[in-house]
Amino acid sequence: MSHPLKSFRHEALMYASDAEFLAGTVPFIRDGLAAGEPILVVERPEKTDLLRAELGVDADAVQFADMLEVGANPARIIPAWHDFVARNGGPGRPVRGIGEPIWPGRRAAELTECQRHESLLNVAFAPGSAWWLLCPYDTVALAPVVIDEARRSHPFISDGSAHLESEDYRGHGAPAALLDAPLPAPPRQHHELAFGSGGLVGLREFVAGHARRAGLGADRIDNLILAASEVAANSVRHGGGRGVLRLWQERDAFVCEVRDRGNFDRPLVDRVRPGDDPGAPRGLWLANHLCDLVQIRSLPSGTVVRLHLRNQAA
Amino acid sequence: MYADKQLVIRRTHAPDGLSFTGAIDLFNVDSVARSLSSVLGEEGDLHIDVSQLEFCDVSGIRALVTAAESVGSRRRLVLHGLPPQLRTVMRVVGWTDLPGLVIDDSGVVEK
Repeated sequence: MSHPLKSFRHEALMYASDAEFLAGTVPFIRDGLAAGEPILVVERPEKTDLLRAELGVDADAVQFADMLEVGANPARIIPAWHDFVARNGGPGRPVRGIGEPIWPGRRAAELTECQRHESLLNVAFAPGSAWWLLCPYDTVALAPVVIDEARRSHPFISDGSAHLESEDYRGHGAPAALLDAPLPAPPRQHHELAFGSGGLVGLREFVAGHARRAGLGADRIDNLILAASEVAANSVRHGGGRGVLRLWQERDAFVCEVRDRGNFDRPLVDRVRPGDDPGAPRGLWLANHLCDLVQIRSLPSGTVVRLHLRNQAA
Repeated sequence: MYADKQLVIRRTHAPDGLSFTGAIDLFNVDSVARSLSSVLGEEGDLHIDVSQLEFCDVSGIRALVTAAESVGSRRRLVLHGLPPQLRTVMRVVGWTDLPGLVIDDSGVVEK
């Protein structure tokens, strides 16, 4: 199957077994190699092992990365693809990728952000760059609602042999639609602090105290303090001058939420690598590197940012 | 030369520059930028002691980077005692390898 690829092709591969996974990915890789296209596979180690065993010496021509690292925070995946395409692609030089960001056992909030990530890919790379990204989905291990969402977020669907346009694809949509995914309400047991023109010293002390009591390590507390301060500073600067910070403990993560009355419509703001412009925004980009997960929403009620730090044992 | 409830900025001599003690964020970053500008016109490298800087957000780093970009090609802005987290932040947000900015790792600042 040779395609004169002119733009970004985002395709889900539905597989129900290791054999189907290999049947869908190995020919895709071999076709790419035959065409001289650079290929990056971002998978969990067990899938990488499967592919290496099946590809034999051909595996040497393929770049591999560990999705457990790259995609631990799903917001770091798009910058990784950007880097790969920028380094290897270009006009008349298509590239290929395989990326499986969703696997059974992802935390609920991680799964939500992985699903946003899949939709954001359509915006991040459309229509400019000629590259083909295949996203495997395990139809046996994942819930049917997850598979349904994959059919809506991917313009193309493959079952390993046929590559078809997805009838359920919802389109690129308005930027706002990528920022209004629902969030569960904060638990009743949380700690709350209003902040505004009085400064952020008290907010940082508040975060530090509760994070310490929650048992976070010193470095992670410093990271959370900085991320929370950046997000709160955004509220002061762009979100109506004030906001409310809430902290709570979930089963597997400590969560810090900042709400304000502002709105914005730049869904990729936290995953565009800051360039040379000193004035370019960097706070949310930084938050994604300081925290294990960052959830950003622009809702009718205002802007919500949730910073998650996983419990270390988890 | 400057003090508020979260930050003290002192003028230093031999080497010439400034020392920051406390916290920099959007509420005092304009004062930080003004203090940096006020010493930019001088001769020689500009030495900034940040070893007592307990907190500095992106706006604060931006002020330091902007000052480093303004010192001119024959001088440098030297950061002394950069806390590890700030170093990480500068790398993550892409503020490394600036020609006018030097990070001094010796940890010794003459007063």
